[in-house]
Amino acid sequence: MNPQTLCLFHAPEDRFRLTVGEEKSYVTVKPVWSAPLSHPGRYLSLVDGKGEEIVMLADPKELPAESHRSLELELKRRYLTSTILSIDHAKVEFGATYWTVRTDRGSRDFVTQSLQENAQWLGENHLLLVDVDGNRFEIPDVTALDETSRHFVETIL
Amino acid sequence: MGQVLSENTSSAEPGRALESGELIRLEADIAADGRYGKRILVVDADRVRVLDADDVVSFEIPIADIKTARNEQLPGGGRLEVTTTSGAILPVVSYSHTVAAKFSEAARGIEQLAKGEPLSINLKQQQIRCPKCSRLLPEADGICPACVNRGKTLLRIAGFLKPYKKQALLLATCSLATTIINLAPPYIQGELIDGVLRTGRNVERLWSLMGVWLGVLVAAVVVQILQGRLIAFLAGNIAADLRSAVYRAIEFLQIAYFDKKQVGAIASRVTSDTDRVWGFLVDGLPYLATNGLLVIGIATVLFFVNPVLAAAVLAPIPIVLLISVLFWKPLSQMFHKVGQKWARFHMHLNESLSGIRVVKVFAKEDHEYAKFGKRNRELRDSGVSVDARWYSMFGAMSFFTSLGTLINWTVGGYMVYRGTLSLGDFWKVNAYLMLVYGPLQWFAQLNHWFSRAMAGAERIFEVVDSEKENYKDEGQRLDIVGEVEFDGVRFGYDKSNPVLKGITFTAQPGEMIGLVGKSGAGKSTTINLICRFYEPDAGTIRIDGVDTRDIALQDMRHQVGVVLQEPFLFNGTIAENIAYGKPGASFEEVIEAARAANAHHFVLGKPDGYDTMVGERGAKLSGGERQRISIARAILHNPRILILDEATSSVDVETEKQIQEAIGRLIEGRTTFAIAHRLSTLRNASRLIVLEKGEIAEIGTHAELMEKQGVFSNLVKTQSAINEIVGYSEGDEPEGEVDWPE
Repeated sequence: MNPQTLCLFHAPEDRFRLTVGEEKSYVTVKPVWSAPLSHPGRYLSLVDGKGEEIVMLADPKELPAESHRSLELELKRRYLTSTILSIDHAKVEFGATYWTVRTDRGSRDFVTQSLQENAQWLGENHLLLVDVDGNRFEIPDVTALDETSRHFVETIL
Repeated sequence: MGQVLSENTSSAEPGRALESGELIRLEADIAADGRYGKRILVVDADRVRVLDADDVVSFEIPIADIKTARNEQLPGGGRLEVTTTSGAILPVVSYSHTVAAKFSEAARGIEQLAKGEPLSINLKQQQIRCPKCSRLLPEADGICPACVNRGKTLLRIAGFLKPYKKQALLLATCSLATTIINLAPPYIQGELIDGVLRTGRNVERLWSLMGVWLGVLVAAVVVQILQGRLIAFLAGNIAADLRSAVYRAIEFLQIAYFDKKQVGAIASRVTSDTDRVWGFLVDGLPYLATNGLLVIGIATVLFFVNPVLAAAVLAPIPIVLLISVLFWKPLSQMFHKVGQKWARFHMHLNESLSGIRVVKVFAKEDHEYAKFGKRNRELRDSGVSVDARWYSMFGAMSFFTSLGTLINWTVGGYMVYRGTLSLGDFWKVNAYLMLVYGPLQWFAQLNHWFSRAMAGAERIFEVVDSEKENYKDEGQRLDIVGEVEFDGVRFGYDKSNPVLKGITFTAQPGEMIGLVGKSGAGKSTTINLICRFYEPDAGTIRIDGVDTRDIALQDMRHQVGVVLQEPFLFNGTIAENIAYGKPGASFEEVIEAARAANAHHFVLGKPDGYDTMVGERGAKLSGGERQRISIARAILHNPRILILDEATSSVDVETEKQIQEAIGRLIEGRTTFAIAHRLSTLRNASRLIVLEKGEIAEIGTHAELMEKQGVFSNLVKTQSAINEIVGYSEGDEPEGEVDWPE
């Protein structure tokens, strides 16, 4: 399927839809990242209401500009994970680690326990923290953080 | 466990009560723009609204327009969605995992209102932050690790000393004696120098002093032996008591606890956490007592000998303490890090060794070696850096402890030279200094030691205090006839995602009920609830008309038997395993059960017969043999309610026939629930319950359901189609005797 023939749009405002050229239309479409951690921004699957894949986009940026904008909006609504921009404070106390961070969604306090399982290194510098409720906080590149934040990561992990 | 709220209303927005007419008021933590923020879901009797931060209504829908409501799980959280009567799906409000369970309940509430049912949900207010220190709590409504009363914990630990009061008291006395004895030799040496060596006469005093010294040495040896024996006694006993207490507590924990934690993590509470605690009780406390007393004793003696010199030589002590306190925390964190690297290293090593066949087959030796090398280097680097730091700290500390000696020789030497201090006193000070600075270096570690022990104790008490199954309650004792009734049962392992959504049926005594459905439909969950591994979130399960929550648990389980797909046998003989269900069963009973289970024949084929060891988890027997042993176990157990969970998958046709036969005898006269991939097991079922996405799709006999042409007959048809594809001819396999499509 040629990505240029895909038209993604919201109609009404809450419903994400897809038409493929002139031939086909899907009233319920969900965008799903195939590998959000190892291939962020790539390999996006569009699935229909029954969970069947309609198409896999290796690079969603190849979509028409208007469709891409709608897609971005829908992704933001569906993916409630956060990316940590900086760590204001982090402290290990009594087996729990208390974090105060700034994320792409704003500031947040959270607690992690047993860091061996809940701080996962996905790559050399790619870190994923899972808090006690199962919320996920990603640091795509630890070396890109400011010095204070890096210091917290280094002393704790 | 009540699930109906007082007044049927609830607010989970902190600090805010429900306004009049509001039935539900919930705070979501993600704002309309997707950032962290506040949005409030308000449900009235006639409409659902969402208020943004400034109380502006950003979404509104009349209840009358709603058909269903649910919590749509999203990566990182969830979204409340309603389906309108016209079939449109409308997203209402998004939230993180932190509050998802509450919104799932709210969705249920909305659905109840939409169907015109009374509101019956459980939205109790949860404590997320500690009310005392306002730290976030690791678990909602859990204990705050920072505010755990350490004194109380210590007292509870000390409680384990109670049965050994005499020995503990004696140990304390020994500690005191050790201190006094340690103080004696330097004092004798000083007296010797001043009284004999410097004067050059009074040789009798030499002999008498030497006599005293010998006495001191003998006393020291006696005390030391006694102390060592006491420590060994206390250590052994307290360690054993602690382990028993924790193990006993774990046994009675709810199954849900085992779902959340890995077996290794639970086992470590019995081993390493108890180790930390008794280690501290038996080694740490006496160390603290002996050395604390020693330091105080020496300081006193020093000031008694010469106050000026004492003040001078003890001056570096605060610096030593400061260094050890300052350095210890980062150092212990580094040690912790090395520990984690070791764990990762071990994990990789274990994995690659146990998977060595796969590694070889894929010729991935180099790849695995590279991975190993990386972990190995990590381990090396962290080890080197922590050791480097350790030696720097140790060096700095040694400098200041040596400084004490230097000060003594400078100030004391000058005093001796001027004649204001006797040589003997100088020597006493010198000898005491050695005794005082040694233990001081380790004092900072005590804090660490103490913290570790406290953390271990808290983990132990967490298990001990965790919610137990109601084993010991005075529930009704019931001689079960066998009627099992599910009445509107709802349950989810994760409360925001129900697996059973209102199951209602009644199984008559002696009936065999087949549970049918795709994986994830809720078959195993239904069975888990019958076993009472979990309590329903809503609705009631009744046995012979009695709410299971009112039946004594252990008594009830005595009358429920299970045969699993992968039967678990304990390491022991075949006879022991069969008799597990009925302790004290006679050997004749065991054989009878084995006969009924078609096991007798193969058991006799073993060289040791019924005395054959089955190995760990029964590994020395084949799958079919294990299965028949477990059926014999269930027959001997003689339960009123029987559960067969995929009991005949994964065995060959001949064995299956034998197992089928055995099961046929087993189910006679018992209420039986059977899950099976192969329908052949269910051919004799009185009725089939077809589950679909946590709801009952159909109930009826095999023939009725086939005639109905509904979900069940569709499933059978799909299977027949698959049958043909995989090449079974009609004659090979009777209808339906194939795996279900997943």
